Amino acid sequence: MKRRFLFAFICNLTLLNLGGQDIGTPDQETINRLYPGKTYSPWAQRNFPSNVYWGETHLHTGLSLDAGLFGCILTHDEAYRFARGEEVTSSTGLKVKLGRPLDWIVITDHSDNLGLATDIQKGKPNILAEEKGRYWHEGFSKGGEEAGVAAFDLIKSFSQGTIPKQLLEDYSPGSPIYNSVWEYITETADKYNDPGKFTALIGFEWTSVPKGFNLHRNVILRDDKYRAQQVVPLTTQPPLGTTDPMDLYKWLEAYESKTGGQALAISHNGNLSNGWLFPSETTYHGYDVDKDYVEQRAKWEPLYEVTQMKGDGETHPYLSPNDEFADYETWDTGNLDLSELKTNDMLSGEYAREALKTGLVLEKRHGTNPYKFGMVGATDSHTGLTTAEEDNYFGKSVSVEPSPKRMEHPFIKSELGEIPGQSIVASGYQGVWADENTREAIFDAMIRKETYATTGPRIMVRFFGGWDYTDNDLRSRAPAFVGYEKGVPMGGDLRRNTEGKAPTFMVFALRDPIGANLDRIQIIKGWLDKDGQTKERIYDVVVSGDRKIAKDGRCKTPVGSTVDVERATWYNTIGASELMAVWTDPDFNPEEKAFYYARVIEIPTPRWVVYDKVRFGIEIPKGTELTTQERAYTSPIWYKPDSR
Amino acid sequence: MRTSITFGIVLLVITLFYGVTSAQESPIQTDLKKAFSEKYKGKSYSPYAAREFPNQLLWGDSHLHTGYSFDAGTAGCILTPEDAYRFARGEEVISSFGIPIKLSRPLDWLAVTDHTDNMGFILDLIAGDQTILATPEGRDWHDRLESASKDEKPEIAYDIIKSLMVTKTFPMEIYYGPESAGYKSTWESIVRTAEQYNDPGNFTAIIGYEWTSTGEGNNLHRNVLYRDDASKVLQMLPFTTVEPLGSLDPMELWKWMTRYEERTGGNVLAIAHNGNLSNGLMFPVDAQYTGRKLDELYVSQRAKWEPVYEITQIKGDGEAHPLLSPSDEFADYETWDFGNIVPGNMVVAKEDQMLPREYAREALKNGLVLEDKFGSNPYKMGFMGATDSHTGLATAQEDNFFGKHSGYEPDPNRMNHLFMQSTRGIMMSWGQVAAGLGAVWAKDNTREAIFDAIERKEVYATTGSRMSVRFFGGWDFLESDLRSREPAFAGYQKGVPMGGDLTKAPSGRAPTFMVYALRDPIGGNLDRIQIIKGWMDGNGETHERIYDVAVSDGRQIEANGRCTTPVGNTVDAESASFTNTIGASELATVWRDPDFNPGQKAFYYARVIEIPTPRWTTIDAFRFGIDIPEGAPISTQERAYTSPIWYSPN
Repeated sequence: MKRRFLFAFICNLTLLNLGGQDIGTPDQETINRLYPGKTYSPWAQRNFPSNVYWGETHLHTGLSLDAGLFGCILTHDEAYRFARGEEVTSSTGLKVKLGRPLDWIVITDHSDNLGLATDIQKGKPNILAEEKGRYWHEGFSKGGEEAGVAAFDLIKSFSQGTIPKQLLEDYSPGSPIYNSVWEYITETADKYNDPGKFTALIGFEWTSVPKGFNLHRNVILRDDKYRAQQVVPLTTQPPLGTTDPMDLYKWLEAYESKTGGQALAISHNGNLSNGWLFPSETTYHGYDVDKDYVEQRAKWEPLYEVTQMKGDGETHPYLSPNDEFADYETWDTGNLDLSELKTNDMLSGEYAREALKTGLVLEKRHGTNPYKFGMVGATDSHTGLTTAEEDNYFGKSVSVEPSPKRMEHPFIKSELGEIPGQSIVASGYQGVWADENTREAIFDAMIRKETYATTGPRIMVRFFGGWDYTDNDLRSRAPAFVGYEKGVPMGGDLRRNTEGKAPTFMVFALRDPIGANLDRIQIIKGWLDKDGQTKERIYDVVVSGDRKIAKDGRCKTPVGSTVDVERATWYNTIGASELMAVWTDPDFNPEEKAFYYARVIEIPTPRWVVYDKVRFGIEIPKGTELTTQERAYTSPIWYKPDSR
Repeated sequence: MRTSITFGIVLLVITLFYGVTSAQESPIQTDLKKAFSEKYKGKSYSPYAAREFPNQLLWGDSHLHTGYSFDAGTAGCILTPEDAYRFARGEEVISSFGIPIKLSRPLDWLAVTDHTDNMGFILDLIAGDQTILATPEGRDWHDRLESASKDEKPEIAYDIIKSLMVTKTFPMEIYYGPESAGYKSTWESIVRTAEQYNDPGNFTAIIGYEWTSTGEGNNLHRNVLYRDDASKVLQMLPFTTVEPLGSLDPMELWKWMTRYEERTGGNVLAIAHNGNLSNGLMFPVDAQYTGRKLDELYVSQRAKWEPVYEITQIKGDGEAHPLLSPSDEFADYETWDFGNIVPGNMVVAKEDQMLPREYAREALKNGLVLEDKFGSNPYKMGFMGATDSHTGLATAQEDNFFGKHSGYEPDPNRMNHLFMQSTRGIMMSWGQVAAGLGAVWAKDNTREAIFDAIERKEVYATTGSRMSVRFFGGWDFLESDLRSREPAFAGYQKGVPMGGDLTKAPSGRAPTFMVYALRDPIGGNLDRIQIIKGWMDGNGETHERIYDVAVSDGRQIEANGRCTTPVGNTVDAESASFTNTIGASELATVWRDPDFNPGQKAFYYARVIEIPTPRWTTIDAFRFGIDIPEGAPISTQERAYTSPIWYSPN
């Protein structure tokens, strides 16, 4: 048996080639110059952000007054567990789980009256010490109709200013109770923050909404609880709080200088600001848009939340009449409480694309572009559940968690108008290009605007700008090597090229692995002409199937639709699994400031209402959009003629 | 222009108010399930919640060697299980010869399966273990290795192996057998490292080893995987092939497995591989390894301990052979049929008559016959892919392939070495296959869930790509069951998943199969899905037939069930790239067997085929600026093999 056992040792010896074999480490010399990798393994030694991390910057739990009042009993523990992929039970008792975990999240409860609603729910001693508090608590405990009555009474008390003084004090910054809520928030974030696996960033929403004009900002900290607990969030209620964004910038400045940490702010829902979110001359608070304003805004607001449940904010058909995809989930009835209806003259101060254009003008005027922002998508969900997928949509608030009737009810209603329940948007998420899944890496990517928004699907998008991209650069499954080598990624800047060439852009999109195929990739250009007028133009740069892009850079043939409304499904028999292109601006004028961003559009898929229809066996109200073409908006790349 | 204190908040509240009334009107949210229409199969409104079936697709490698394996160590592998786990879970590591490497995507699980015979010796020799250095040979080898250049090291390694194998001068007092301290401490280190890296829910480190039976050069290797943790595993030492403690006979391995389960209350299973290198011994139909006739004991033990087979790996694909399946255009895929695996370049040549006992599809067919004869089917096996890499690096992707062993880590010469030869021909090292992976449908990423999925054969093999594949069999799947992005609900409700059984055909009904494949998210589109049927007729003869059930790009499937139009090829050899402008991002269908005979035993499995993509050799040629070796295919059509579903009349 001896011989046999020895054979076993060398079971793989035949595969050795031991005679004078030249085993060597391939160095850059032996590697073909056409191969862009830094080492043989194309995934190793990457000196650029190589992963997209999915998350969102805007989620409310029961600690937010409005969320809690309407029945959200989920707190940060459940919200984090849900976001990282666990199954939880919603406030209305439904089991819910994400299709895929998120990589990171920022829970951003409203800082005003933070924690009051959950304490009423729980019947904390300071609540029960007040007669009104006891009444509200009992109402909530009974649930159903009585909870509704109690909630309404609470609202009435707020609007009449009859909330017990002690409770107002308890839930204002500086009180022991408020501090303990902030401690809970920051400690829970640290508890769930798991570097490399799941990132929990600390944040809050500063909810400035004077006269119903939405000027909200989410504040995000790069830091852990030790820094975060050195401050309390800024609120909007005087004397401690303020609704003026300039005061928020002061708070951010103070946070950084006091703690040595870092913070940023992201605004959202310009569409509900009635023109006040992106001012060009005068701010809502009455002062001029001046050098100080534009510098502060540029410094603290690197990103804009371009899409979320209360409407898509990329552009408006009135502003972009040549854009067939502009009228997407548009909310343009009025301001946040519909106390003032929308007029067309307000729109230019509300939408992202127009703001990017206005930013070029303001930069020329004041030296700094206040609206040089990257794009993010978020849910703004008030359920504690970050749901942005059409087939798993748990609504904007607990009141519109799945039920056979949620589509029918007006979501916002006033004497002037209403926004129907069916128009709520199952959107959005944010893709972040980063080296690793940590607070620092994700925050830093946000600062450099290397992020993009989607309306829910996890489309992977690379977008680079430079002077020398060629079609040859696309002959690789890893275009990012050349992308970073020859140019800048989304969020970056191009300066005048001395050879006077036109800029080239390389864009590459992979469909959501379990989602829909892609219709097309567009590049959207905005610029400031020599007369000081801003312009925009859309270029289809690559489309699926055999469709042609005409000389004007447009493909007018729609991709078609495979949506089966009766089954709430679609087929990926149209569209492309991936699209890529290198595109050179055919209309480039080196003297004109410009920006370029990519918009990636999916084939049509069922909107969330269709899933409701099929699951509940109900009819959809007339006039409801049944399908959607989900999309990704990349952060822009800016071109500037001067070398500064 | 400051607004009043509570105004802003009140507005927010009002914003949401009208919604709340709807909640008041329908407070029966917990009874919502009753409100669901029949069309909706989910258990809760959220289709991802409350699922009662395996819903996670977990990618891993059940067969990986590190420097602890004697042959890996001699080839220069200095990576340990620790490196192997770090690499598998997605970290960047440095290969044995200094090349930084990282996976494109982490694996979900890994079983390190070092050869048990002489396990750990080489790394201890290199590290200068005092016992080893106490022998003149050990001292000599160590010192020479320490001062040797990279090119000289393999020569020394060869001397060591020669002393064991040819001159028999290896000092047996330092041999790492099961009774030696070196063997025990190596095993303990392997087990402890698995414990350290096992991270339930995130990454599973399955404890395992390879039992390396290679009598007369014929490969009968089995990987043994444990369901258990160190507290059970360490109660016994793993089995070897060396007598008297070990054996080359698979029956003895199964006895060891029986003893392990009885003694510890734990669970183990074994996975065989490389029937193609067994010269007809892997799937016997007549005589066992020992020469004894196949009997009830053999077939029942094999069925009990070997639920799955490693159908594809670096040393050749083992699904089918063109001589056995002449009408299968895809059968000649990365075929290694020169001979067995004896030491030295010259191997014992393959004879055609050996082939039926070497390949998986033929074994599945023979299993039906043996089941008829002995009452249980020894070859009722699911499929998994694995690398069998000896580098400590589980690389199965064409664009990131680090070779069979460390000597074949990337360099400009690695494709052009003589690999093996027999009277049937010569094989060069470009013939190594960048394969494969094991895909597991499980509920959680834990040792228990993965092991249990392998036991029930709810697993499939791929040659390296990560396509998601669902495969169900039942009696009444309808096209409408596919009209959902979630066919698994109907799949489990109306039938059985891959690895399952169908029995007793309802009168006049033929079985239906629902199959659904999504391409690798970053890989190639899909060419087609095929269902491969094997059956035994009334005369005890076995047959096979291939059906194209879903094809891309609007191609036609003829009345005979075949699509003979190839998908095309977008591979650009010069840049080693391809475009996904052909093929489909996903394919799905419900198929009914048009030739079903309810009285005949049969099996069905799905084969999912990608569009052509560049083979690793094409990628090497591009990266190093060299020529593609003569004879090496420029492109490859990666594939997935699902575990079969069996039909039996009773």
